[in-house]
Amino acid sequence: MNLVAVCFVAALCACALAALAALLVPARRRPAVTGVITAVAGALAAVAGVAAIGDGGWQVWLPDLLPLAGVRLALDSLAGVFVAVTGAVTVCAALYGAGYTAGGRDRGQGGDDAGGHGGHALDGRITQAMVPLFVGSLLLVPAADSVSTLLLAWELMAITSLLLVMAEHRQREAVREAAVWYAVMTHLGFVAILCGLLAFVAAAGGDSFEQLRVAAVDPGTRSAVFLATFAGFAAKAGIVPLHVWLPRAHPEAPSHVSALMSAAMVNMGVYGILRVGFDLLGGGPAWWWLVVLTAGVLSALYGILQAVVATDLKRLLGYSTTENIGLVLIGTGAAGFFAAGGSGALAGLALAAALLHMVNHSAFKTVLFLAAGSVLRATGSRDLDALGGLRERMPYTAGLFAVGALCASALPPGNAFVSEWLLLQSLIQSGSGAGLAGAVLMPAAVAGIALSAGLAVATFVKAFGVGFLARPRSADAERAVESPRSMVGGMGLAAGCCVALALAPALILPALAPAVVALTGDFGVSVQDVTLRVDAGLSTVSPTLIAVSLLVAVVAVLGLARAAMARRARRAARLWDCGLGPMSPRMEYTATSFAEPLQRVFDDVLAPESDVDVTPARESAYLVERVSFQTRVPDRIERRLYDPLVAAAAAAGGVARRLANGSVHRYLAYGFCALTGALVVLAVIW
Amino acid sequence: MPDLTYTELLYLACGAFLLTGVMVLWRRDLRAVIRLFALQGLALAAVIGVLAAHQGDLELALVGIGVGALRAGLLPYLMARALAAGGEDRETRPLVNVSASLVVAAALAMLAYAISRPLTELAPSPATRAVPVALTVLLVGFFVLVTRRRALSQVVGFLLMDNAITATAFLTTSGVPLVVELGVSLDVLLAILVLYVLTNRIRASFGGTDLDELRELHD
Amino acid sequence: MTGVAGVVLQVLLVAVGSPLLVGVMRQVRARLEGRAGAGLWQPWRDLRKLMRKQAITPAGTGWVFRAAPMVLAGTALVVAAVVPLVTTESPLDGVADLFAVTALLALGSVALALAGLDTGTAFGGMGASREVTVLALVEPTILVSVFALSIPAGSTNLGELVAAAEANWLSLLSPVTLLAAVALAIVSIAESGRIPVDNPATHLELTMIHEAMILEYAGPDLALIEWASAMRLTLLLGLLAGLFAPWGIATAGAGALGLLVAAIVVVVKVTVLGVALAAGEVFMAKLRLFRIPELLAGSFLMALLAVAASYFLV
Repeated sequence: MNLVAVCFVAALCACALAALAALLVPARRRPAVTGVITAVAGALAAVAGVAAIGDGGWQVWLPDLLPLAGVRLALDSLAGVFVAVTGAVTVCAALYGAGYTAGGRDRGQGGDDAGGHGGHALDGRITQAMVPLFVGSLLLVPAADSVSTLLLAWELMAITSLLLVMAEHRQREAVREAAVWYAVMTHLGFVAILCGLLAFVAAAGGDSFEQLRVAAVDPGTRSAVFLATFAGFAAKAGIVPLHVWLPRAHPEAPSHVSALMSAAMVNMGVYGILRVGFDLLGGGPAWWWLVVLTAGVLSALYGILQAVVATDLKRLLGYSTTENIGLVLIGTGAAGFFAAGGSGALAGLALAAALLHMVNHSAFKTVLFLAAGSVLRATGSRDLDALGGLRERMPYTAGLFAVGALCASALPPGNAFVSEWLLLQSLIQSGSGAGLAGAVLMPAAVAGIALSAGLAVATFVKAFGVGFLARPRSADAERAVESPRSMVGGMGLAAGCCVALALAPALILPALAPAVVALTGDFGVSVQDVTLRVDAGLSTVSPTLIAVSLLVAVVAVLGLARAAMARRARRAARLWDCGLGPMSPRMEYTATSFAEPLQRVFDDVLAPESDVDVTPARESAYLVERVSFQTRVPDRIERRLYDPLVAAAAAAGGVARRLANGSVHRYLAYGFCALTGALVVLAVIW
Repeated sequence: MPDLTYTELLYLACGAFLLTGVMVLWRRDLRAVIRLFALQGLALAAVIGVLAAHQGDLELALVGIGVGALRAGLLPYLMARALAAGGEDRETRPLVNVSASLVVAAALAMLAYAISRPLTELAPSPATRAVPVALTVLLVGFFVLVTRRRALSQVVGFLLMDNAITATAFLTTSGVPLVVELGVSLDVLLAILVLYVLTNRIRASFGGTDLDELRELHD
Repeated sequence: MTGVAGVVLQVLLVAVGSPLLVGVMRQVRARLEGRAGAGLWQPWRDLRKLMRKQAITPAGTGWVFRAAPMVLAGTALVVAAVVPLVTTESPLDGVADLFAVTALLALGSVALALAGLDTGTAFGGMGASREVTVLALVEPTILVSVFALSIPAGSTNLGELVAAAEANWLSLLSPVTLLAAVALAIVSIAESGRIPVDNPATHLELTMIHEAMILEYAGPDLALIEWASAMRLTLLLGLLAGLFAPWGIATAGAGALGLLVAAIVVVVKVTVLGVALAAGEVFMAKLRLFRIPELLAGSFLMALLAVAASYFLV
């Protein structure tokens, strides 16, 4: 057994141990013990993942663990990337969770209107035990080496995450609704994956990935398998139009679970697409990847447009996940497209960009969700319009959120800037050699990435500026206090990962090379000292140098200003209030008003609903007594696509109800008829 | 004329032709739209002129001058007179808003490029490579026709399409017989005169040329 | 070695010259409007006056508010060190990427927008909201024009772009370059907050963008912001001049004389552009805020047409 095997098995055992501990340890110690063991599991998994990227090649077949096919596990370089990311996210989330879920009973403020923070649900046995099990399933998915193992792990992941989403269902009505959406979408996705993979297995005549790779399957079946699995994986990845569960489930889940879901679970969708598309099906025609690319562009744009108008902090982050996974899929699609066209260097570049962006997204989204959880715990509110002024009250959380927001807005010296730069390079280097589809789609993709990057800046300026700066907009925000040390530690660890990724991509990027080369045969980026160089063109960028020169310049400005400035201490002064006296928080710009110009610009896409209600005074219709104005931006895809579907399903259910009149004999008769009917059909066909 | 300069000049003229075409979508002021149309006429004449100079063809040069005079001189003059006679000189609320129409125009350019690829590959030369430009203007003209409310904007849309067809003809065939071109131009002139008279009559009778208001006449 | 000397030279040129450029532009406006004008050195005099005042912290603002002017000026200085004004040989080659440069400028705007939100006043929020709206809409145009420009050079590195343009100057006349130039010119105007997108001289809440964000700044902080804004304007004009009229920029191996000539040439180019911009502003009115997306959509269209043209007019 090599290092990979030892660490990976140990990580799985630690997960099991943590789940066991959650069931046995008394409530007072439960969050701390479970959290620490889960964090250890995460650390072990991260080590296993990193080791697997390096040398890889660990395989095991446990024929007795499952009937018929047994369990097959393997960690290659691609799986290693995902295991490592999941492990790292787990460490941060579990440490944070130890503080986040503790003390609910002492505080005893799990009231319905308190936003459900703390509460007595989070340190319950089942919820505590589910987190390590969820982590275990997240580790098993990329490690699966046969279809049955993959499906089993996938379903385990779906169920454990569903139970975690439901953790606070007693506190809030919205949790139940979110859980139903999540359950339905994730299982529809599962069905799609199941159908696709079973068709593949049937055509290939074997269940292990080894057999699937070498199987000769006709192109029609391959395309059908790809499309079915793509739909299923895209649903897990939160890709438009299958994203509807995401902006509901992410906000309603406990925050450390949101971080795990958004930074680790959603990645599994990407993993599935890469594994099935590149590895098992071995590439495929260009049009597959154009579908992926188009879905990516649409998701990026739609996700960020919804994020920019969202006022619920965690919902905003959820939509931002859709955007970022969209960007990852743009890279994936471009990689497949270039690989199908035979340009390996470009394909490697695009895939490297996609994987790096996924890693970056996991890092900054962990920070952001955890910080949002801290805010929720301290103020009881996720509504940006009610927050503000947290920079003095929660200095660490505010500072760490700022780091995450800088990274998420793809500006230097953040980490997402690096991956988006690589992504843009891969698209613009395609040149006119990419053929007609490339010539039309590449500029469109570049424009899409650019617009989503611009809107991401607006989104995170809003999230940080409105949520943390200025003055508190509500009494709850005014009373906020900093989170306990374990939570700050978890966030700080994740922010540290962000900073490392931002400043030293030249060290981290080569680590992805084996996975990229395994799929596309080429890496496409070379590293010179601290500079990234694109092989296909002459472009270079050095994030380290950017950060250093920025620091030098700011220090120089500071020095200059000090030297030139009058030597008098700063004086406090009143804000400009037009002479009306102190300004009240009601006069501040809110998240809604901040996003209003953008909402107006994208009016046609967002279709906001507003409702003006004028109550005239009794004396005269011309005198207005009260005006109430309501505006909300619904998810338009949900409105247009899902509402009719749900209505149709409900109508069908209503009709079907007539079949069920409560008589047991009738139900048994249905079963009997179905059985004999099936037998008759079989008899006729054979 | 050396080959390189020929290509550059031709593309420059085509670029101007394209730019004036899409700018029509941008401007609300009808006077500015007419000016843009006149400029496009000049650009078209320049395209023909460059082609003529390259081929050393005097007849083609004459056609170019004729086209220029008609499209940059006579037609804009007629339209400006029609505008001066009426009072409505702004396209106030197009059916598709301006930002959206500009984005649509970008998409139309990509479409034009996509559909003209086979045409270009048939006989790759600097002139045929510019065909997508003409097709873009054709589609943009059609789009103007569909989405603009004022009768005059519609005329401009129609004329954009005509300009584009002329440009396509010259770019692909390296020279249309003089007679054909004359005939087409006369047709266009006639159509414009008819429209001019008609809009005047309509305005005299109903006081406006907003097409959606005219629809009420049907009811 | 000339690389380092050139970079020092151009940073100094930008740092010292940008308030002068603003002075020239104001003077041109004043003369065209029939006023005498305050003279070329007025911006510098203003800066000196502001620097001597006492620094002020408005009530309820925090570290973001105080750090924003430094970040704004810092990003401008970094960009000044890498944009090919005097030399293409920047030792900071890893920063001299067109995407990186636009992102750095955006970082400066973001810092100011956050400072505007940090004040918690309606003005600050309004300015911040409008600024990021324009920023978000400008981004696609910039990146797509960069796409168009990078096709001939095969790179987004500024040095490579300028070198490619200088080597084949006929390509500057192609529709690709011209369309991209117009598109980039429009977004540069939007980014630097000039008419018709924003009016640097207004203090009317209905119209202002930039001024609303910095309303609470006073004294040395305001001086830093004014100086940084002047530098940003200079840099954007210099970038346009470098990309679309690359003549005279010192390349590798140019001696001291080459650097000197390049410095004079760039001063002339930027001044000409500035004068043209100022003269144009006299004849233009500011657009309504919600007409700005139309302008930016127009520039986006041109950028996309530039890319399309680069594919079919090869």
